[in-house]
Amino acid sequence: MPRIHLGDWVDSGVDWLVAHLSWLFDAVKAVMEGMYDGLDSVLAAPEPLLMAGILAVVAWWLRGLLAGVLAFAGFALVDSLDLWDQAMSTLALVLVATVLALVISIPLGIWAARSQTVSATVRPVLDLLQTMPSMVLLIPAMLFFGLGTAPGVVATLIFALAPGVRMTELGIRQVDAELVEAAEAFGTTPRNILWRVQLPLALPTVMAGVNQVIMLGLSMVVIAGMVGTGGLGGAVNQAIGQVDIGYGFEAGVGIVVLAIYLDRVTGALGTQLSPLGRRAAAKSRTRAWSYRPRPAVALAGAVFLALVAAGLGVFGPSAGTSEASGADIGKGKEIRIGYIPWDEGIASTFLWKEILEERGFKVTTSQYAAGPLYTGLATGQLDFETDSWLPTTHAEYWAKYGERLEDLGKWYGPTSLELTVPSYVKDVNSLEDLENHASEFHGKIIGIEPSAGMMGLLKDKVLKEYGLEGTYEVVDGSTPAMLAELKRAYGRKQPVVVTLWSPHWAYSDYGLKKLKDPKGAWGKGDGVHTLARKGFAADNPRVGQWLKDFSMTEEQLTSLEARIQSAGKGGEQDAVRAWLRRHPGLLDQWAPVAKDDARSQAAG
Amino acid sequence: MAPRLEAEHLFKVFGRRPHDAVERLRKDADREELRADGTTAAVIDASFRVEAGEIFVVMGLSGSGKSTLLRMLNGLLEPTAGRVRFDGQDLTTLPDRALRELRSKKISMVFQHFALFPHRSVRDNAAYGLEVQGVPRAERVRRADEALALCGLAGWEKSWPDELSGGMQQRVGLARALATDADLLLMDESFSALDPLIRRDMQDQLLELQKTLKKTIVFITHDLNEAMRLGDRIAVMRDGRIVQTGTAEDILLRPEGDYVASFIQDVDRSRVLTAAAVMDTDVRGDEADCGCETAAPGTPFTELCAISARLSHPVAVLDEGRALVGVVPRQRLVGFLGDERGEPAACDSDGGRKVIGRA
Repeated sequence: MPRIHLGDWVDSGVDWLVAHLSWLFDAVKAVMEGMYDGLDSVLAAPEPLLMAGILAVVAWWLRGLLAGVLAFAGFALVDSLDLWDQAMSTLALVLVATVLALVISIPLGIWAARSQTVSATVRPVLDLLQTMPSMVLLIPAMLFFGLGTAPGVVATLIFALAPGVRMTELGIRQVDAELVEAAEAFGTTPRNILWRVQLPLALPTVMAGVNQVIMLGLSMVVIAGMVGTGGLGGAVNQAIGQVDIGYGFEAGVGIVVLAIYLDRVTGALGTQLSPLGRRAAAKSRTRAWSYRPRPAVALAGAVFLALVAAGLGVFGPSAGTSEASGADIGKGKEIRIGYIPWDEGIASTFLWKEILEERGFKVTTSQYAAGPLYTGLATGQLDFETDSWLPTTHAEYWAKYGERLEDLGKWYGPTSLELTVPSYVKDVNSLEDLENHASEFHGKIIGIEPSAGMMGLLKDKVLKEYGLEGTYEVVDGSTPAMLAELKRAYGRKQPVVVTLWSPHWAYSDYGLKKLKDPKGAWGKGDGVHTLARKGFAADNPRVGQWLKDFSMTEEQLTSLEARIQSAGKGGEQDAVRAWLRRHPGLLDQWAPVAKDDARSQAAG
Repeated sequence: MAPRLEAEHLFKVFGRRPHDAVERLRKDADREELRADGTTAAVIDASFRVEAGEIFVVMGLSGSGKSTLLRMLNGLLEPTAGRVRFDGQDLTTLPDRALRELRSKKISMVFQHFALFPHRSVRDNAAYGLEVQGVPRAERVRRADEALALCGLAGWEKSWPDELSGGMQQRVGLARALATDADLLLMDESFSALDPLIRRDMQDQLLELQKTLKKTIVFITHDLNEAMRLGDRIAVMRDGRIVQTGTAEDILLRPEGDYVASFIQDVDRSRVLTAAAVMDTDVRGDEADCGCETAAPGTPFTELCAISARLSHPVAVLDEGRALVGVVPRQRLVGFLGDERGEPAACDSDGGRKVIGRA
């Protein structure tokens, strides 16, 4: 068979789009972010419990008293889990994506219902959008729209489009043909047939589609979290990255509360909008727990709560930025740091956030998966990140994006890559010992993401050098899965061999043994590098210099990591501040301020 | 006077290359022949005229093309060939917009399965045509309520279609068609989905309404009894062609061809025939000279039987001017019921021999 270079065509197609249609993408992005920012600020503005009250009144109006009470309880729970801001930004993201999805899908569904050709054309496209793994679409979306909300909205939108189109088409097609004929027989215009007969009768089905759109949107939120949309999806990603089961569950509960609320409310909205549904609802007996206030009353209630919110002037707590106490070199200039939720990445990122804020910069940090992070840097969406393992582990990313990045040098090293077994596995101390113990480990080496540089090295070189090909199979997976497997096996004292690297917190949490590498197959260790977007150091010469000069010792890094670990979620920056207080002088060592700084900055 | 509605050589062919098919049909090609090629000839060379104020029934079994024919009369379907003239205007040449205008104001339709809008109240259903015309709300409510009252539904205006029985739903359908004051009413198997008793009621009501409203009605049915009851004139369709057009009596007494003849076998003649159809016009002139009960030409067959039973001699039939137009001997009544037109044969036994019962 000849090799069809579909991938290359897609690549060049995407490149062409990026090069020639960027104005369009920028416009779309501006619209989406505008909608999202507006909605998010409205949702997050009032005191959480007040907003929960407003949402509860909406549920009360649409579904009844019980629903209202439960909605309030659910949102109160979210607030008490300290996930309120994330939940509101997720809600805003889903609502924006839903509105856009409906704006596209309902007219498309109507069109498809009226034309067999359109229907036949649209169907395979919807299949493609719905079943194509979402990460595959997320990366091009990022190339088009950059990091942040827009690609998240687009990915959600694309995924959620299909049910909207399908259900609208189905709803209209299943309207009794005789009714349509009756409308025609009385001289109704096609447009009025749509408005007076087809849409009202299709409404329950269309609303079921809307409901599906919202639910699919919510399920996409987690994936969208990987491109830095934040919200509950970001929280889940962070928890997954750190195998923090408890936090992951809390964030998951937050998503569930949102999902149930949106599902019930849109379901009830469907009933309220459709004349038939309204009639059925009016027929059923009213009981105390299903008592619903009249729309005017409900509106008045919601408006009252909103006015209270505004009147109290209670706005969300301002972002917890520390006051610049040292020399104000940044003068409020914004610096965007991206990070992958690995421990040394979190530690160094928040360290630099604290340092730069001390120096008067305004710093935003956001969390990404590796691919999006490098894309973000290469496209200039991010200023720098501190956690690239070069020259080996992240070699692929460097090869792909290196031209558009600046290497600000290594701040920690050497790192090492290794295969590791728990220390209770007695006879295995070196890679050479593995061959004879294959059955003990069931012939399996628990690996991480197949895309990781380390995995390629392991499969192509290490196994070959030690003659392990054939006796061992490398299990592709993910870092969290590997760590979970290590934890499980460790708890049962079962033999297990995993791919691991230093520094890693696992070495302090478990008794582990790095397998020796007498043949040097893993190569020399990497250094942890800071990478910046092209031109960052030129734009910010002082920061560039600080980052180039930055280095940490193993003792410094592990003690900082330990302090962050014990501070828990949300306490990263406080932990860094406390740690810096315990290590006086480091701040000035890493970000020295000369006496004539103010003037030279002004001149620069 | 020009007819209100006129169909001239209408053809409707579904499928590929319909115009070729029409050419072939004109050259006497068979319907089955076309079907083999994947084209369906639904209506073949149908021509008829409907006078103002007349109920014209198109009767045929399912698949005979009668519904297709009806839908060409208001332009829901465009004829493949032929013309439809309504008040002298050729519908086949009208643009869509004008056709819609015509449908909304002058032609209305009643459907087999009622086709009421489930999301509208009874009143809003009845007012639908007026809403399409753009009549202001107050007026269309008034006219819709009038139409509903005419159909015996006063007091049900605020109900919903699914709360009504089938018969009442079809009254709403009828009211919707009447509310627009359209001159031409197309009724597509309108009573077929109803129970037999309710169907009779509706037929009676339609006839009653027709006495005052004098609409022009084209009524489709597969039920010959219904056709005979309602139709001033009837067209019988078979396989897309009209095989006979005439009054109920024409069809019943002078069926053209075996198909119609076999069709009318099951018809309850006593419901259709009147004194005028069965009377012997060969009269001496003195039959009505006695003071006995007489009949009029329009007297129904059953009543005629009742009169005959009370008399010892044939029933005299007098017209409006009390002039004798015919007589109905009892023998003739029995003969019509049994579809026997011949004179009674002489008994072949001699009068003297009697059959003796075996006691």
